[in-house]
Amino acid sequence: MNAAMTQDPILKISSLQKRYGDVDVLKDINLSMMPGEFLVLVGPSGCGKSTLLSCISGLTDISSGTIHIAGKDRTNDEPADRDIAMVFQSYALFPNMSVERNIGFGLEVRKVNEAEKKRKVAEVADLLKIEHLLHRRPAELSGGQRQRVAMGRALVREPKLFLFDEPLSNLDAKLRVTMRTEIKRIHQTTGASIVYVTHDQIEAMTLASRIVVMKDGVVQQIGTPQEIYNTPVNAFVADFMGAPSMNLMTGTATREGDHVRLQIPTPEGPPLELVDYGPGPKTLTAGGTAELIIGLRPEAMTDLGMRASGIDGRTLQSADCLLDVVEPAGADTYAVIQLGGTEAVARLSADAPVAAGQRVPIAFDLSKISYFDIASGNRI
Amino acid sequence: MLGRRQKREKWILLAPALAVLALITLIPLANTLWLSFTDTRISALPEPVHFIGLENYVYALTDPDFQDALFRTLYFTIVSVGLEGVLGVAVAVLLNQEFRGRTLLRALIILPWAVPTIVNAVAWRLIYHPDYGALNSLLFQLGIISDYRSWIGDPATAMNMVVLADVWKNFPLVAYVALAALQTVPEDLSKAAAIEGAGPWKRFRSITLPWIAGPLMVVMVLRTIEAFRVFDIIYVMTGGGPADSTKTASFYVYQEYFNYLRSGSGASYAVLVAGISAVLIVFYYSATKRQTAGGAA
Amino acid sequence: MKRSLVQSILLYGCALLLAAFTAGPLLWLAVMSISAPTDLTAVPLHWIPSQLDFSRYAALLSLDGGNGERFLSALRNSILTAGGATAAALLLAIPAAYAFSRRQASMVLLFAFLATIMMPPITYVLPLYSTFSSLGLLNHTVTLIIVYTAMLLPFATWLMKANIDVLPVEVEQAAFMEGAGTAYTIRQVVLPLALPAIAATAMLSFLVAWDEFFYALIFTNDLSAKTLPVAIADFSAGRVTDYGVIASVGVLATLPPAILAIAFQKFIVSGLVAGSVKG
Repeated sequence: MNAAMTQDPILKISSLQKRYGDVDVLKDINLSMMPGEFLVLVGPSGCGKSTLLSCISGLTDISSGTIHIAGKDRTNDEPADRDIAMVFQSYALFPNMSVERNIGFGLEVRKVNEAEKKRKVAEVADLLKIEHLLHRRPAELSGGQRQRVAMGRALVREPKLFLFDEPLSNLDAKLRVTMRTEIKRIHQTTGASIVYVTHDQIEAMTLASRIVVMKDGVVQQIGTPQEIYNTPVNAFVADFMGAPSMNLMTGTATREGDHVRLQIPTPEGPPLELVDYGPGPKTLTAGGTAELIIGLRPEAMTDLGMRASGIDGRTLQSADCLLDVVEPAGADTYAVIQLGGTEAVARLSADAPVAAGQRVPIAFDLSKISYFDIASGNRI
Repeated sequence: MLGRRQKREKWILLAPALAVLALITLIPLANTLWLSFTDTRISALPEPVHFIGLENYVYALTDPDFQDALFRTLYFTIVSVGLEGVLGVAVAVLLNQEFRGRTLLRALIILPWAVPTIVNAVAWRLIYHPDYGALNSLLFQLGIISDYRSWIGDPATAMNMVVLADVWKNFPLVAYVALAALQTVPEDLSKAAAIEGAGPWKRFRSITLPWIAGPLMVVMVLRTIEAFRVFDIIYVMTGGGPADSTKTASFYVYQEYFNYLRSGSGASYAVLVAGISAVLIVFYYSATKRQTAGGAA
Repeated sequence: MKRSLVQSILLYGCALLLAAFTAGPLLWLAVMSISAPTDLTAVPLHWIPSQLDFSRYAALLSLDGGNGERFLSALRNSILTAGGATAAALLLAIPAAYAFSRRQASMVLLFAFLATIMMPPITYVLPLYSTFSSLGLLNHTVTLIIVYTAMLLPFATWLMKANIDVLPVEVEQAAFMEGAGTAYTIRQVVLPLALPAIAATAMLSFLVAWDEFFYALIFTNDLSAKTLPVAIADFSAGRVTDYGVIASVGVLATLPPAILAIAFQKFIVSGLVAGSVKG
């Protein structure tokens, strides 16, 4: 821990801007990353994450700001001089070359001697379990094998920093899970520093040591997966990260002494009432009332109450809710409840004896409740 | 998108091609322009050269022979390209139908395109031969003519005979382009129109033709540019004759240069012809641009 | 939709007419080349030769005798000129096409390229003639190669650009990331991928150069440099009394481009298929 703190960041981006004509694609990006970190850039399409990666790689010029890699200013360096390697979305293997030559291409360009090159390629091939494919052409490989070759090409040069541009998006769902594990394993065994772009928040959660959530060219939040998941800085992050996403219900909060009374309107009648004994919304003064967005994840709305366990009336409170739609999903059953102007999802146990149209007690876990400002969407 | 080094590289990559084009086209073009303002002659001995301003142009623009040559070129261009267009589209429509032997016929019509221009000229010259030509013999044996004719020896028919030879060689290009465009016409569109009661001609006019108009336009303008500089076929078939009836603009300049050795005055004719070509090229550019813009939409 | 009998007759009638119009002149050229001279000067003509006479081909393809020497040296010159110019044009066109496709060289410049070859050759010919004359380069194969290179270059650049445009750009980016320079990337990555396009471009360029007449007419004057088109024009204009000889030369000059053209159609298709499989 102390050692890491005295180390230089492997990647440091300061005040980076990228404009195409009049359009600001990236706005004032600042981030820094320690050696061995697995940094995932995530966000909806068009958020600028791939452009940011391209800027780091040097394939795209930046409009202003600086990029330091391993302590050196690389802002104006060519991609080849930045001591980095990249795994492309389309793998970008050289179709006319064997797997062996593909992996060894960077060494070939750097005129590494033949024996050394062979040894390193063999080493990487062994790590990725593709020794038997070395003499094939990319066209003769499956998607997963191509993916491995692309990673091999990046690994063999032992660069300071690895860039992954949505590497799994071309694979089918099952293979994607396998390769995800594989990438995580490689990260653990090699200790490589990785910047990884994806639009898939599950990939981000499972792979990252830290996540950078982006939207419209602006970094929304940087944090560990737990931080991002539990304390999203705004409604966008809350909504984007996690599946199913956080329920964002509009309601009113009133600070009454040591607690905050929450009222969430329902379409069928009186509002749902909960009481938060935690700190509550920071901006809410004593006796004050405010309309705001109340965020609860589906797993904080359960059927524990029906099983009559753990309801303590403080962090776990029970309230009757009308189930609009019931969706069994194997391990869990999801129930949609009209709450606070949204279709809130509750995560019930698979065997919960419920049906659509029923009014059942739902247990609300208020320990992980979030509040957001209606106008700005920011956490309060 | 680009690194500074890559921007510099752009010019390194282009440099050899630019150098060759500058040497073989741009510098000669400028040179021709300069010549056109002088009284230079091609001569074994060095002769004094005088700058004479627009004198050559004044002469060229009032020269009735040159005007005739321009009109002949225009006639050749319009009739040739017009026939190639009509025949090309008709052939494309035919080759777009299902029938036995279609593949063979599609392959067959590439042959005129592959025949070298000079061989084409020579072959048709033989066919048009006044005494032993196949055309005379064929028409005579079919009873269409009663006397052998001198097809390219008669000023009244010579140009049209050259046109026929040119059309034979060049209609396949138009046909191939039109056929490729026809194959992209959605069948539903035609079917829908048929259900609405449109007859075949109406369907062709209001659906098919507009659909293929873009690419057709591009190839027709391209053919116009080529036809306007016609030289080879004239040189071999008629030598500009008889009685100058096939003397086109390029041929006129050629004679001014290499028969009369008047390079200054020849250059002014060349510049005028080049000017007309430049206008056609601008047309080609805008047709292509509209075509690529339409294709992207 | 089923065709009626009348429609069928009309369709096949048109097809036959087209076949006759297209093949007729060529067939007749071939027939003339193997007809006896007396058949060719009969009035009316003997359409079917009374005997097959291949002697003209034998004479044209042997070095003894004037016609054979004229033909064979012209054939050699044509192959050298068209081949040399095609190779040189591709060598220059590929980097230029790469600049247009991947380095954002201006499209206006590319159209300026194309415009230069669309201009009538009479625009350029006299200054070129004077220059080559003063350099003592008239009547040299290399002169024609230089001129044809410039003539082929814009078209070859255009074709290659269109083909490089559709190659996956990420593969090149990967090569740059791995440290390869542009020249190395073009050679090792782009060219192998563009091979079918290069072959197609080379064939078309070769055909254009093979067909060229105007510059060859003006820049050459004897056996050492005259190309086939000029030689054929000579045969035709000369006092050859046997039209069969002219026809034979025509047939021989048509064979290479005709064979290439028919093979070329298939090549385009197979090139596309190969390209998409490799994708």
